[in-house]
Amino acid sequence: MSFVQNFPFFSIIIAMFSGIVSSVLSGKKARAVSITAITVTTVLSACVLAFCLRTGQSYTYMMGHFPAPWGNEIRAGVLEGLTAVLFGVVMFLSVVGGLRYTEEDVEPSKQNLFYIMIDLMLSSLLALIYTNDLFTAYVFVEINTIAGCGLIMMSQTGRSLTAAIRYMVMSSLGSGLFLIGLSLLYDVTGQLLMSPAKEAVARIVADGSYQIPLLVIVAVVSVGLAIKSGLFPFHYWIPDTYGYATPTASAVLSGLVSKGYIFLLIKFFYRVIGTENAVHSHIINTLFVFGVAGMMFGSLRAIMQTDTRKMIAYSSVAQIGYIYMGIGLGTQAGMIAAIFHIFSHGATKALLFISCVGLYKASGDRTDFLALRGSGYRNRLAGAGFLIGALSMVGFPMLAGFISKLLFATSAFASPHKMLITLIALAVSTVLNAIYFLRLLIGLYRPTKSGSFVEAAPAEQSGRGGEAEAGRSAKLAGRKSNGGVKPAEKGAGQVSGSAALAANPWTMRIAIVCFIILNLILGLFSQPIVRVITDGLAMFG
Amino acid sequence: MSVLLPVLWPIAAGVAVLAYTGICNSKRKASAGSAASGETAAAKGVSGGGNAYAADTGTVSGGLSGTGNASETGAEPGASHSAASHSQITTLDLIYMAALALETVLVILAAAGGGSVRLFSLTDTLTLGLRVDGTGSLFAVLTSIMWLLTGIHSVAYMKHEEWAERFYGFYLIVVGVLVGLDYAADLVTLYVFYEMMTLTSLPLVLHELTKEAVQAGMKYLFYSVGGAFLALFGIFYLANVCGDLSFTAGGRFTAEMAAGAPLLLTAVFCMIVGFGTKAGMFPLHGWLPIAHPVAPAPASAVLSGVITKAGVMALVRIIYFLVGPDVLRGTWVQAAWMVLTLLTVFMGSMLAYRENVFKKRLAYSTVSQVSYVLFGLSLMNPIGFTGALTHVVFHSAIKTCLFFFAGAVIVVTGWKKVDQLRGLGRVMPLALAAYTMASLALIGIPPFSGFVSKWYLATGSLASGTGALGFIGPVVLLISALLTAGYLLPIMIRGYFPGQDFEGKEIEERGLAKKEPSLLMLVPIAILAAATLLLGCFPGPLVAFVEKIAAAVM
Amino acid sequence: MAPTLMLNLEEEVSMVLFGVGFTMLLLHRNLIKKIMGMNIMDTAIYLFLAAKGYIEGRGVPILTDGVQDASAYINPVPSGLVLTGIVVSVSTTALMLALTIRLYERYHSLDLDQILISMKMEEEEQL
Repeated sequence: MSFVQNFPFFSIIIAMFSGIVSSVLSGKKARAVSITAITVTTVLSACVLAFCLRTGQSYTYMMGHFPAPWGNEIRAGVLEGLTAVLFGVVMFLSVVGGLRYTEEDVEPSKQNLFYIMIDLMLSSLLALIYTNDLFTAYVFVEINTIAGCGLIMMSQTGRSLTAAIRYMVMSSLGSGLFLIGLSLLYDVTGQLLMSPAKEAVARIVADGSYQIPLLVIVAVVSVGLAIKSGLFPFHYWIPDTYGYATPTASAVLSGLVSKGYIFLLIKFFYRVIGTENAVHSHIINTLFVFGVAGMMFGSLRAIMQTDTRKMIAYSSVAQIGYIYMGIGLGTQAGMIAAIFHIFSHGATKALLFISCVGLYKASGDRTDFLALRGSGYRNRLAGAGFLIGALSMVGFPMLAGFISKLLFATSAFASPHKMLITLIALAVSTVLNAIYFLRLLIGLYRPTKSGSFVEAAPAEQSGRGGEAEAGRSAKLAGRKSNGGVKPAEKGAGQVSGSAALAANPWTMRIAIVCFIILNLILGLFSQPIVRVITDGLAMFG
Repeated sequence: MSVLLPVLWPIAAGVAVLAYTGICNSKRKASAGSAASGETAAAKGVSGGGNAYAADTGTVSGGLSGTGNASETGAEPGASHSAASHSQITTLDLIYMAALALETVLVILAAAGGGSVRLFSLTDTLTLGLRVDGTGSLFAVLTSIMWLLTGIHSVAYMKHEEWAERFYGFYLIVVGVLVGLDYAADLVTLYVFYEMMTLTSLPLVLHELTKEAVQAGMKYLFYSVGGAFLALFGIFYLANVCGDLSFTAGGRFTAEMAAGAPLLLTAVFCMIVGFGTKAGMFPLHGWLPIAHPVAPAPASAVLSGVITKAGVMALVRIIYFLVGPDVLRGTWVQAAWMVLTLLTVFMGSMLAYRENVFKKRLAYSTVSQVSYVLFGLSLMNPIGFTGALTHVVFHSAIKTCLFFFAGAVIVVTGWKKVDQLRGLGRVMPLALAAYTMASLALIGIPPFSGFVSKWYLATGSLASGTGALGFIGPVVLLISALLTAGYLLPIMIRGYFPGQDFEGKEIEERGLAKKEPSLLMLVPIAILAAATLLLGCFPGPLVAFVEKIAAAVM
Repeated sequence: MAPTLMLNLEEEVSMVLFGVGFTMLLLHRNLIKKIMGMNIMDTAIYLFLAAKGYIEGRGVPILTDGVQDASAYINPVPSGLVLTGIVVSVSTTALMLALTIRLYERYHSLDLDQILISMKMEEEEQL
């Protein structure tokens, strides 16, 4: 046995252990520990990926001394390795990019708690990726939920507390369904490890016994994980959750956490139920329908938003819909497209969340469209980051999003019954995406007078006249005049272009640049990645 | 490698101009930092103390009038600038014109040198690459020449607008993208450049940043993006059926392949409608008449003269270089396409005839004229193809000339409506003469150029073997030519012969008599007017060149 | 039908309980009752697991009198799962209760709708 084969276990345990250690450290040290842990685990995952690529096969790793079917197992193949590496990179960049804002948003005494949550999140994500045991998956799903809840409530505003409780409620529903699903599966098959369970399921299907329980299991597990990943119509916690957390938390939650559950679902289909059985059960068609509905609904709601954070959050609802649509196609190609979209959306959405904070800072912490007008000039790097991210989401060629759409479209041709719906859904949602992202982009690059935002924003509202906004803006303006000249001066002085640029923390600059590069890599050199995904799925087999 | 240069050079130059402008602005802003806050205070002062609400409204009307520049706000564009301070040509203007001239040289060198370059692969089968061929060279050389002339014109025009540097920057970038589009070796490359063209030409439409300009820009963007994604749908399908999407003269599809792809015709139709957006084809023509009047005149000139041709280029590539005319001839796609183009030809002329805003009238005329080209392409026979490609060249020259004229009128007199143009002959007789020549060419009166292409279109239509549509075609073309005469010539007639009751009070009061536009404007107009005549008298080389392409693809 | 129903009484009860808990967690507006629902739901699953692990007439899974034959003992795995599940559920419950306390301190209500309304009102006032 090669030493590298220990690495998946090491990386999980390193992440978890650094979380435990951080509980007695100061915020700064916890941060250093956390960043180191993320780096180390990413490197370890890269080694695993390289190892599996070289040997060309996956391996299982026995935890403890009991062999299957009794003991616990970890399993690593190229797809697991690749996912772990990409998740690690996105997580690293999100944490680094949001450093400054985490410092601002989180109380100094609670800084270390934030990084504990990040560590636990990393550890649980890695465990979800690597584990070969369903009950272990359940335990880490719960750890993931708790860490996610901690990240959301970290800024301790009323909004984030209510968002956290809603998140907890929905997640508990999902976990409950997942748990009952795997209890039933244990009942039917007598197995919790994925590989023996799959053999047992194959026997059951061959016998023709337990058809209905099997259907219930697939349905319950799918619905449970769909709730947790925010598939329409279980999405209503998403906008608040992503919209009101600190930037790092938003990026991690929307970029990675929901994807972890989807990855688990894909593993469940491939490694436990078997794809043919999943396709025959028609549950997959339900996922397809809700995926398509989510694409439409998310995009439409995103168009209606006037607040950028919520807009991006609703766009996540749409993108989750894309992924489920890919899974719902029920073909190998659809699954590849879905997995690629997990990566490309993770990279893009995290970029959007990180870079739009730079724009908010250049607009006096306001997040509505009007205040952001012209902020692309005030903070050029963040503007560029947002531009690339938005274009990638829309599906501009040479960026990650285009490849996802290409893969979805080509995979659609392989499943004749769903081809037309898929293509129409893709086309409509792309146009809708274009509408809301490009509208915002034009706003970002629309110059305002003298580079100030405070003047333009409320005045523009009053200029619209007669709308409900007018009252509010009058109040705003009134408040401003009470405050004397001060706000106006602040507006004019504080944010002229170069000043805001200088205010960009260097960590954030690095993160944005790296995210842009990541997007370009996914867009330009997608072929090796797609090949690895294909190989990885074959190894799932 | 020579084919890469004309693509990269203008993009690099444009980015450099934009970066330079950005640096200058931030320097100026830093020095004028106190001025900025002073101005804010002044804006507050105007409202009469304390009423921040009113002050904000005041500020916005200033802000909307189109400048993010702290030191130059609060004035209508052009109004506060004395002619003296703006008539000289700055170093930047010279560099800009030199860059465009160099671009023309590079394009011609590339066209002469030939060659191809493979950039990189998106997936196993989809690659990005550039290749020089006859069609690409024709479009690229045409583009670069029009761009040079318009560039010269824009230097004069932009003296009356804010943010000239920004315009120059994006203007340079767009030409690089367009040349890339013309030399694209496969459909994916073409699509990439097509999308880039939409995004980079958007600032040209948005230039003035008034509310109307932003709305028009949005409309331009959404039509373009919507059309492009409709086309993308088709591209996905072709990629799936065909695998390799690189262009070959005559197309890649054989009858058996076409029979094995049930949705091929639908996909092609989607692409025709999608790319037809840029060419202003019904039903997605709506952006054209909205976007043109708000854009600065040089931008309208290239939008109409050149960028609409990018849509034509995309369709030429798809129909004649990818799918192949043999597969499509006689199918419902051909019939539907012909109907759409004829409808557009008629509708565009009709709307132009009824339109009073001069630039809008020209925009509707473009809608109609570009569909002449598309009609020629839809015939799918060599004669029609020849007519279409020659009309591309002729219409480009003519429409650019007409928009130059419209721009000159706006700069000299500020008139934008057609009924204001009465007696224009007293103001700018020379420019009006050039306008007359271009108008006659567009109507298609021999020996001007439009006649040649329309002759080919009409004979091609009769020879196309498409039954009734083949006969309806020439009739529609004739009616449209009559309408063209109806909407272009009255301007000339009432310009030179305003009638007995015309006193020309305004002309005298404003001292406009015999006030020709500056040389920078007049020379490009004259060159293009001469070109319309020369191309009409000696169409031989061009027609021979196009016929060679036509023979290769059919 | 009826005899089978009588045979699987524990499973049926657990499924009914699961439904009750799930519905409470999903639909009840009171946060404490939501948490209770969650616990009922989890407990239902433990009951189910325990019932599936228990085999009539066999002993606890601890070696007695050196009998090595597995058929003498009940299945120990579900018991282990129940224990793990209880730990997980306790921590989730604790977290949700803590959150509920924070929300109650802030908005003086346990009704989630009420909390959302007062949160919106608070935000309006801030503007």
